[in-house]
Amino acid sequence: MSSSATLANASNSQALARPPNGGVFQIALRDIQTLFRTPWIIITRSLAFIIQLFVFATLISTLVHISSDPTFNFFQYYAIGSVVGTMASISFVIGYDIFEEAEEGVLDYLLTLPVSRRQFIIGRALGGAVRAMIYIIPMFVIVAVLENFTSPLNLIAAVLDLFLLSFGVTGLSITVAVSVRSANRFDVVLALLELAVSRASTALYPAIAMPFYVAILAPFSPVSLAAGSAREALTGGAINIASLAGLVAFVVIFLGLGAAFYFRKLEGGVYA
Amino acid sequence: MFANFSIDLFITAVTFGNLIPPGTTGIASYFLYIAPGSNLVTAMVAAFQSGRDVWREKYIKDLTSYLLSLPVPRLLLASSRIAGGVARSVIATFPGTIVICYLYGMLFDTRVLEAYLIVALFSLGIVGLSMSFAAFASSIEVFVTVRSLVQLYLSFLSTLFYKVEVVQEKAPFLVPIVSSNPMTWAVEAFRELKISGTGFAPISVLIAPSLFFALLGLGSYLWYSKL
Repeated sequence: MSSSATLANASNSQALARPPNGGVFQIALRDIQTLFRTPWIIITRSLAFIIQLFVFATLISTLVHISSDPTFNFFQYYAIGSVVGTMASISFVIGYDIFEEAEEGVLDYLLTLPVSRRQFIIGRALGGAVRAMIYIIPMFVIVAVLENFTSPLNLIAAVLDLFLLSFGVTGLSITVAVSVRSANRFDVVLALLELAVSRASTALYPAIAMPFYVAILAPFSPVSLAAGSAREALTGGAINIASLAGLVAFVVIFLGLGAAFYFRKLEGGVYA
Repeated sequence: MFANFSIDLFITAVTFGNLIPPGTTGIASYFLYIAPGSNLVTAMVAAFQSGRDVWREKYIKDLTSYLLSLPVPRLLLASSRIAGGVARSVIATFPGTIVICYLYGMLFDTRVLEAYLIVALFSLGIVGLSMSFAAFASSIEVFVTVRSLVQLYLSFLSTLFYKVEVVQEKAPFLVPIVSSNPMTWAVEAFRELKISGTGFAPISVLIAPSLFFALLGLGSYLWYSKL
């Protein structure tokens, strides 16, 4: 073999080892494709959303009455909140995927791919967030049509809130997936976290009706921040800067933590 | 499980209790109205775990051969799986049932036993149902999907959150579905315990369907194991 051929091979290997920009997107695309490989889960969750909205919210809104705000429209409140709550719930799924991959040995294969660790981690978080967005858009459209939200700018602002929440929850889910070793403990921790984050928030009910021990914490929940900001954008047309800042902080903290924990796991075992 | 129940009861139920004023559609306290539902939802989740275990033993752990080698008659093995599932569900909801009995003012009363009987009968039906699904589900996705659909039906298309009169008024076509829902029978039986002296009459409605589902689970388990 001539030296020029060897050099050419070496440069090809380098090109394969470090794809310039495509690595993140390839990894993200893989996570997005898994969404479409499980159509039954999409159908079930969509059906759950429809029943919650058209049966539960419709019936319960006939019973709800707040004396300090007699014009309170619970159906509208719940409709927007249920989209945000579902978004948070779907974004947690990436954690289950990552935990399963580590258990089944798929992670070892993924690490042999010619993608840098940084690209790999960002790609996972991005893929988790984007697939949650793809999943939630039809539900968001249903609510927008039902409630006659037509302003494009307001809709974009609400979608931005949803994306930020999704990105942050994905980071949180990755953090839990790579820091809990036992499968049972992981299932319990993630399920509880998911329940607590959505129930102890103002997504599904207003803070005024909450018991005091939840009402003092609920405004700080990322789901509350996203729900409040999306609600204001859609119904009032205003951008809530404080909520957006809170969401960005949530994303930065948990995406950073998730990346740090994941990086540590990839490079030397769970607690090495 | 108790943490799930606590979130359901002390956050969601309390909040809805504050959102729905006393006296709405004849409900004196909405919090107390939906409180038994939190416990029965926990029982439902715990009971469905039996089906998940059967599925995992079949496809993930490949334990069928080992189980068949156990020195017990096969019918006894299948029955004990169901009994174990019911026991686990009752244990998982043990503190929750105590809390609801306390809220209903019947903690130091024989009605506590009736409350546990309701949870056990309801769990019996769900364990049987979940084992049937596990026997026929070829992938975890199918099992999880069916489980989610059943949980959806039991939770939102029952009288767990609203009276049947409300359903009749707003969505009359749903009334047959709501009225024939095992969750409706269980939660109504639990609510009737508040009235002392009702005896076992409200509970009796659960016996036939629960036994039917338990037999279905038993038959499916025996069939899938080719026993």
